[in-house]
Amino acid sequence: MAEDITVLLEGRITAFSAAPIWQTALESLERYPDRQVIVDAARLEHVDNVGLALLFDLSRRGAEIRALAPRFAAMVRRYDPHAFALPVIGTRSQGAFEQVGRSVARQAAYLRELVGFLGECVHALFHARSRRLLKWGDLLDVATETGANAVPIVLLVGFLMGVIIAFELGLVARQFGAVIFVVNGGAVAVLRELSPLMTAIVFAGRTGAAFAAQLGAQKVNEELDALSTFGLHPIGFLVLPRIVTSILIVPMLTVLADVVGLLGGALVMTSFGVSFLQSYTQLLGAVTSWDLLLGLIKAAFFGLTIAAVGCHQGLSTGAGASAVGHSATRAVVASIVLIIVIDGVFALLTS
Amino acid sequence: MNGLANPAISVRNLRMGFGSRVLLDDASFDVHRGEIVVVLGGSGSGKSSLMKTIIGLHDPLAGDILIDGESLIGANEDQQAQLQRRLGVMYQGGALFGSLNVLENVRFPLDRFTGLTLAQKNLIARMLLRELEMEQAEAMTPGELSGGMLKRAGIARAMALGCDILLLDEPSAGLDPITAANLDRTILSLRRNLDVTFLIVTHELQSILAIADRAIMLDPHSRSIIADGKPEELRECSGDARVRQFFNRQPDHE
Repeated sequence: MAEDITVLLEGRITAFSAAPIWQTALESLERYPDRQVIVDAARLEHVDNVGLALLFDLSRRGAEIRALAPRFAAMVRRYDPHAFALPVIGTRSQGAFEQVGRSVARQAAYLRELVGFLGECVHALFHARSRRLLKWGDLLDVATETGANAVPIVLLVGFLMGVIIAFELGLVARQFGAVIFVVNGGAVAVLRELSPLMTAIVFAGRTGAAFAAQLGAQKVNEELDALSTFGLHPIGFLVLPRIVTSILIVPMLTVLADVVGLLGGALVMTSFGVSFLQSYTQLLGAVTSWDLLLGLIKAAFFGLTIAAVGCHQGLSTGAGASAVGHSATRAVVASIVLIIVIDGVFALLTS
Repeated sequence: MNGLANPAISVRNLRMGFGSRVLLDDASFDVHRGEIVVVLGGSGSGKSSLMKTIIGLHDPLAGDILIDGESLIGANEDQQAQLQRRLGVMYQGGALFGSLNVLENVRFPLDRFTGLTLAQKNLIARMLLRELEMEQAEAMTPGELSGGMLKRAGIARAMALGCDILLLDEPSAGLDPITAANLDRTILSLRRNLDVTFLIVTHELQSILAIADRAIMLDPHSRSIIADGKPEELRECSGDARVRQFFNRQPDHE
């Protein structure tokens, strides 16, 4: 019979000193699987809960603990050696193909959920109209916060977009002596794409996130439950005003962005030797009211998307302090992605 | 720990407060190893501030606090942090980290301060959760837990680094009588099985009578400790009318 292996434990074993001792003891156990390992605890002065776990772990792995102070021995005996069998956690690694499939399925499920949510909103809208639940006051409150207060940032962004696109186009057009046609290209770009898109992105960051955070915080504080007990459905009372207002407000902000964008473009054109008046007359021939209208229709859809995504994220906020922030982040990311997708769909439909 | 000579916590001539507003003056008491001591007093008497001072979150205006005979106030920052780690604290609502589940919450201090392997840390955490009758809840997140479970998980996390001095802030606040009684039983079993010393801030009379070896009563008017003794004796024969009033749950005189 092979000789026994002795592991000596001494002094104090605490959370801060246990790691190397535990490691060494386990190595002894693993190196000599066919020999009896004896743990000599005669000189062990103190164990805390970590030391206790160490003793328990060694004893359940078959080591024999000798000369352990009765106080500690009683502590170790209180635990059932078979009670802490490590549960096997299924962390099978996924292949790339499976990951792609799963995330596509997840996104599809999210879209389906969002469409369902929109359906609920439409249902609530008809319900609300018949009961006069939708109040002008509510709409105006939301409009002030999301619209009027957003005017400065929208003006700034819209103006800069007009300036930048005119400048970029102007540099290219100058090489061909076609500077005057920059007005055509720039105006179409501003009216059909840049203004609605940039306004929507500003709106998503400013208002979509705020919707998600407001509703999320109200959900966490059980305010939504309180509303429900008054018979006020959160969708009718909180979501509808936000969605209706957003559908109206984003096109209005887009008009502002259009105006300052064209103005900024015309300003840049003067540095290319095209006067304001020339720009103006060229503009009249370059764009139709359809260009403006298309931009505004898109803006309305963007507003709907942002408000719906923001409110939906807010209402599906989980529990806990980090959940609200998580909802706000997801609202912005999801609405910007959807905005781009919708923009692409419009580009295909109107080409 | 370091012999039985030194009390686990020793408060010496403590004066604490905020600026010119003194909450407590010249207060001294000891908590000995294996004792369960409750600090009680009406609202505003400085119970919670006293606890925060002992943990080292507030600096006292004067006096000293000794943990296992070592001074907390005179120590430099490193020593202070080491002394603080000997104290486990359970905050009123558990103060669990919302993004981690129960097992990860209990493992958190072990992840930070020890070089143990994941399996070892999980074993330690599960043994603690078993002591607190929480082993079924290890995968739940704090949002899913009831008030009593939050407190149990908070105690398990406080004990993870081998703290055998626990400070509990209002353990029975917000709990139904049965849950509170179960928690009392757990506190007694922790003391019996793991030699844990408790300093508990509470004003739950039944809980005090059930678990406390000693009660220390603070008084906001005299800003001092007006009672220090066994709860049953304080109830029956304290020389101070305010103490008897508290223990017999009598209203103020009209």
